[in-house]
Amino acid sequence: MASREIAQYPSASRRVFGVVTILFIAFYLLWTLLPLLIMFLSSFKDLLDAFQLPATGDWGGVATLFTFEPTTKHYENLFLELNFGTYLGNSLIASLGSAGISVVLGSMAAYSLSRLDFRGKNHLFFWIISTRMAPVVAVLVPLYAIFRSLDLIGTLPGLILAYTTFNLPFAIWILKGFFDNVPYAIEEASMCDGSTRLQALRMILPLVAPGIGAFLVLCVLFGWNDYLFSSIIGSGGAKTLPPATIGLVQPQNIQWGSIMAAGAVTTVPMLFLGVLIRRYLVAGLTMGAVRE
Amino acid sequence: MVEVNIQNVWKYYGKTVAVKELNLKCPENSFLAILGPSGCGKSSTLRMLAGLEHISAGDIFFGDLRVNQLPPKERDIAMVFENYALYPHKTVFENMANPLRLRNVNREEIDKRVRRAAELLQIEMLLDRKPMQLSGGQKQRTAIGRAIVREPKVFLFDEPIAHLDAKLRAHMRGELKHLQRRLETTTIYVTHDQLEAMSMADNIAVMHEGVLQQFGTPSEIYNHPANEWVAGFVGEPPMNFLNCRLERGADGVVAVHPSFRLALTDAQRRLLEEKGAEAEVRLGVRPDTIAYRAGAGSGLGIAAKVFVTEPLGGDMIVEVQLGADRITVKTKIGPSANLDEPCTIAFDAARIHLFAASNGIAYF
Ligand SMILES: Nc1ncnc2c1ncn2[C@@H]1O[C@H](COP(=O)(O)OP(=O)(O)OP(=O)(O)O)[C@@H](O)[C@H]1O
Ligand SMILES: [Mg+2]
Repeated sequence: MASREIAQYPSASRRVFGVVTILFIAFYLLWTLLPLLIMFLSSFKDLLDAFQLPATGDWGGVATLFTFEPTTKHYENLFLELNFGTYLGNSLIASLGSAGISVVLGSMAAYSLSRLDFRGKNHLFFWIISTRMAPVVAVLVPLYAIFRSLDLIGTLPGLILAYTTFNLPFAIWILKGFFDNVPYAIEEASMCDGSTRLQALRMILPLVAPGIGAFLVLCVLFGWNDYLFSSIIGSGGAKTLPPATIGLVQPQNIQWGSIMAAGAVTTVPMLFLGVLIRRYLVAGLTMGAVRE
Repeated sequence: MVEVNIQNVWKYYGKTVAVKELNLKCPENSFLAILGPSGCGKSSTLRMLAGLEHISAGDIFFGDLRVNQLPPKERDIAMVFENYALYPHKTVFENMANPLRLRNVNREEIDKRVRRAAELLQIEMLLDRKPMQLSGGQKQRTAIGRAIVREPKVFLFDEPIAHLDAKLRAHMRGELKHLQRRLETTTIYVTHDQLEAMSMADNIAVMHEGVLQQFGTPSEIYNHPANEWVAGFVGEPPMNFLNCRLERGADGVVAVHPSFRLALTDAQRRLLEEKGAEAEVRLGVRPDTIAYRAGAGSGLGIAAKVFVTEPLGGDMIVEVQLGADRITVKTKIGPSANLDEPCTIAFDAARIHLFAASNGIAYF
């Protein structure tokens, strides 16, 4: 089998392309990281410091952005006065719960769709993915009506169910692709070695694990970043971080400091999650290597 | 360790028929080769034996046990796949250890058996590698290793050495045959390579387009092919076929070709009469039973012209133009000849085959 080192030969256009690539990456990093940096810095600044901005074009004044007395009062305000601890917990439970359920059910469905042939399989598969074609707002009202009659409004199970409704079809669709990528012969070999069907499935799980892991993160992100469901279906007992943050914008008084702190609280866990599973995310993208 | 008995087995894939009414028996502890060209239903048959493929109709017995409804696990078979089917995330050692782990064999025993198999297959130094880092031949040997670490009731091999280089293939032929003799395990071996089938098997089943053409020992298949198709498939270089007419005279039966007349033996005449032979026949003659001499009037009965000579070291293949037909002759090495140089050839009447022109069934 060929190694994965690609042979490269120097040429003028390749050098120019290299420079352009570096410039582009630098610009892209600035574009994406600067807002985050400002958010983190501002969350530790007093309101007065936060609005000490250099004049346009005054590059020397950039230093003023970094001269301030750090304070944690915004965070104290969030967690001690505004109940953000509860909202953080709600966010975690709702997004992780839904992601877990979606991935477990989704893997099972994807496995059967990938491995078994039955009548109407293609129709079933299309129907599953077509449920994702309607925009969220279109189904929100009927969903609300159903949830209300089931007393699920404002509860965490209700929110988890709502997220799962949207995560599951997507999970089935994506995960089927991962299972399709694993040759069936591997399971056949395992069954000839003396395993049951279920043990054979366990044998190929490590091969789809990177895909499942990567998708788990996508599901968590969907729930974590959701505003619409949480503000309507979760309103009341199951408020999560995004609606809670919006709540800080009051007509009289926009609490910039707290909003920045809330932004940081919302961002940091996902950053950690990203770093934690980075290996899997990358591996998930190189699934093709499994093929013999 | 069991007799394998295939009774009236059919295999359909949707509307395509892959195996037609197959009846086959592999005696206990013997080596059966299923031989046929690509797409003849060999793998389908093997996969039905393994329990990987639904049996459309008919029954398969292992001894007295009807296995139609048994999953692979309960059939106690070991199979080597055409495309290796190794576990890509496991090392060679773990690949080979897997069947033993599934049977809860203890660690020392696993280690011992895997190493012994690896040694036999000459892959000891690869035990820590992953399949990705192996060459095709090494993968194939790992796949064989995974099958031979335990002692199943039946070995199923699907072209296990097809992808090896010629030298290693010859070596593995010997090793596998030796292994089968030593383990005394019923073995069913699928191949499209007649050399493998002839050299390794106790019995050969020749298949063509899903239909069993002939079942017999290698010598039966080679010396008494049941029909023209088997005769043409088995043997290298392949048998020559010539359209002839049978003429019955006072002194016996003669096969008449535009270029020659060949008197048949008495035994052959009797066989033809017994079977009520038609006048139109196909004469089959193996390249190595034809005598050949270069030069015009060189003494053998039939005058012909050389088309091309192909020296093979000790032997030589000569393609000879005989009227409108071209036949292949295998002879001892001699001087090369150019196109259209004259030569003479002779057939050994006792070693020819005759087939009905209408359906290809052999008379003898
Ligand atoms: N899963 C399948 N679906 C439909 N047709 C199939 C399937 N598997 C095999 N066939 C068909 O059945 C016939 C026999 O296939 P099989 O794989 O048994 O051939 P084979 O003798 O093993 O050939 P080869 O030497 O190329 O491996 C072929 O015509 C093939 O096209
Ligand atoms: Mg095959």
